Amino acid sequence: MNYHILKKDELDGFVKKLAKKMKVYAPVAKGHDNFAFEEVASAGEIALSYIPTILPPKKYFMPQREKLLDFDLTGGKPADRAVLDAPELAIFAVHTCDLAGIQCLNMVFSEKPRDYNYILRKEKIFIIGLECLKYCDGNAGCAMVGNHNPNGGYDLFFTDLGDRFIIHVNTQKGEELVENMGLAKAAAADMAALDKVREGKKQAFATEPGADPKKLPEVFARAMESKIWHELGARCVSCGNCTNVCPTCYCFDMADTINLDMKTGFRTRTWDSCQFETFAAVAGGENFREERANRQRHRFYRKFKYPLDKFYRSFCTGCGRCTRTCMAKISLKDTLKALVAEHK
Amino acid sequence: MKTENKPVTTAAKPKVAFFDFASCEGCQLQITNLGESLLDILGAIDVVEFREAISEKWDGDYDVVFIEGSIGDPHAEERLKKIRARAKVLIAYGACACTGGVNGMKNSFQIDEIRASVYGKDYKLFASTATKAVHQVVKVDYSINGCPIYAPELVEVLKHALRGLPYTVPDNPVCSECKLNENVCMYERGLACLGPWTKAGCNSWCVNNGNICYGCRGEVSNPAKNANDVIGKYNLKPELIKAKFDMYNKCKEADAK
Repeated sequence: MNYHILKKDELDGFVKKLAKKMKVYAPVAKGHDNFAFEEVASAGEIALSYIPTILPPKKYFMPQREKLLDFDLTGGKPADRAVLDAPELAIFAVHTCDLAGIQCLNMVFSEKPRDYNYILRKEKIFIIGLECLKYCDGNAGCAMVGNHNPNGGYDLFFTDLGDRFIIHVNTQKGEELVENMGLAKAAAADMAALDKVREGKKQAFATEPGADPKKLPEVFARAMESKIWHELGARCVSCGNCTNVCPTCYCFDMADTINLDMKTGFRTRTWDSCQFETFAAVAGGENFREERANRQRHRFYRKFKYPLDKFYRSFCTGCGRCTRTCMAKISLKDTLKALVAEHK
Repeated sequence: MKTENKPVTTAAKPKVAFFDFASCEGCQLQITNLGESLLDILGAIDVVEFREAISEKWDGDYDVVFIEGSIGDPHAEERLKKIRARAKVLIAYGACACTGGVNGMKNSFQIDEIRASVYGKDYKLFASTATKAVHQVVKVDYSINGCPIYAPELVEVLKHALRGLPYTVPDNPVCSECKLNENVCMYERGLACLGPWTKAGCNSWCVNNGNICYGCRGEVSNPAKNANDVIGKYNLKPELIKAKFDMYNKCKEADAK
């Protein structure tokens, strides 16, 4: 195991050195207990204690709006050229829920047909995790899905030990960086301190009451006709907030735009949402999920049922963003509890 | 679904005219403010009438007309119908033209009461009718909602019109774009915003610049059935939201009839 130490008063130097190599993005306070990953140049700008950002770091892996190709219709045969904008960058202070989200997206986009824009961009992103020592708020459910402790998916991972961070080095790239920065190896006392922190977390992240994660697959297997979906549907605004902020929602829409010369143009993809009324509408006017209840149900099944069948993994990372952002107070944890109660 | 239009194909560049009715003419100003892309637009079309920018007039038919403003008296209604008769494609642009806009507030009053308040004791000399959006008078082929119009959308709609392709005004709430821009929700700031009920397509322009959504693009076709649940989270009254909506959307009531 490869661990290094960074004293807290050296964090600013660390960030500044890193920012000389590549752009660094970290959580920044936006007021009203809202945070967002933004470019930073020093440690002072970073909110080290933060609840999940408005958008998860997926925005660096699959940007909200992304140009995929340029085309030209001038000749007899249309010509096109693939476009990829993938600068080298670092994301600092990524919580374990969001690391899990990136792992989920990696699985999805690595499936054939592979998404080369995603995969090539991912290779350029240096990920530095930051451990949570307690629940960020009551909406989070990371322990329920086992994401409150680090489980890979990063280059470096920081854990706060009071006056210093202990850094787990997980990749060759990470190793090169800590060597380059001249960070000392962790001593036995540091490792003991880390063990103590993890022991403390067992209490701080006691399992959620009312929704035993092991029972969820069985609950969802029988919840297709539940009345609960209609209750959610009656409240839902169809604004797509819940899916846009979700670290594992990856649906997108594509559109071609022609320039004013009416000959050249470009193709873009934009995040889409299964909560939009048009999402499952097809030619001829049929809509496979016309009702909000069906769309809400679909969202939950895309987190707790379908990915378990396909990837053997929950696509809910427990970050709690969907609950925080919902205009209509639709709570993920309350919905799960209600489904479990109905199942009994 | 909109019916597909024929592409505007002419030997010369398409003849395009801009007309204004009851409005502040701010949407025309948005066009003149387009900057460099205005040069590209002028490369694709031939502007034959545009009161705020040129003094020329045109007495032939129009390939495309842009209509700004709402219709509030019989003369305007006649003039609009004559323009429509000479136009292959009609584009309503701006909130006044598309949804009636702020002029629709007139419809909250008895017509004679509002006439007297505006024109004084001789109000009967001035004809006035309830405010109508352009589509409530003539057929509209394309709409560019918003107060003012969002300039990039104008360019998109123009391109669709020139190619004869249908353009669909986005029908998701403004939140859908606002979230992509990662704004702190106005409700989190303690402000009542109409984003959850208003049609997107403006790229959450107002919220990006620190303002709430005033609902200028009109209500989504299928809003949340029970607004109480939504605004209950923030201890607001449904009447407040309704009153805020009326500022731009009073003319909608004529559509429902």
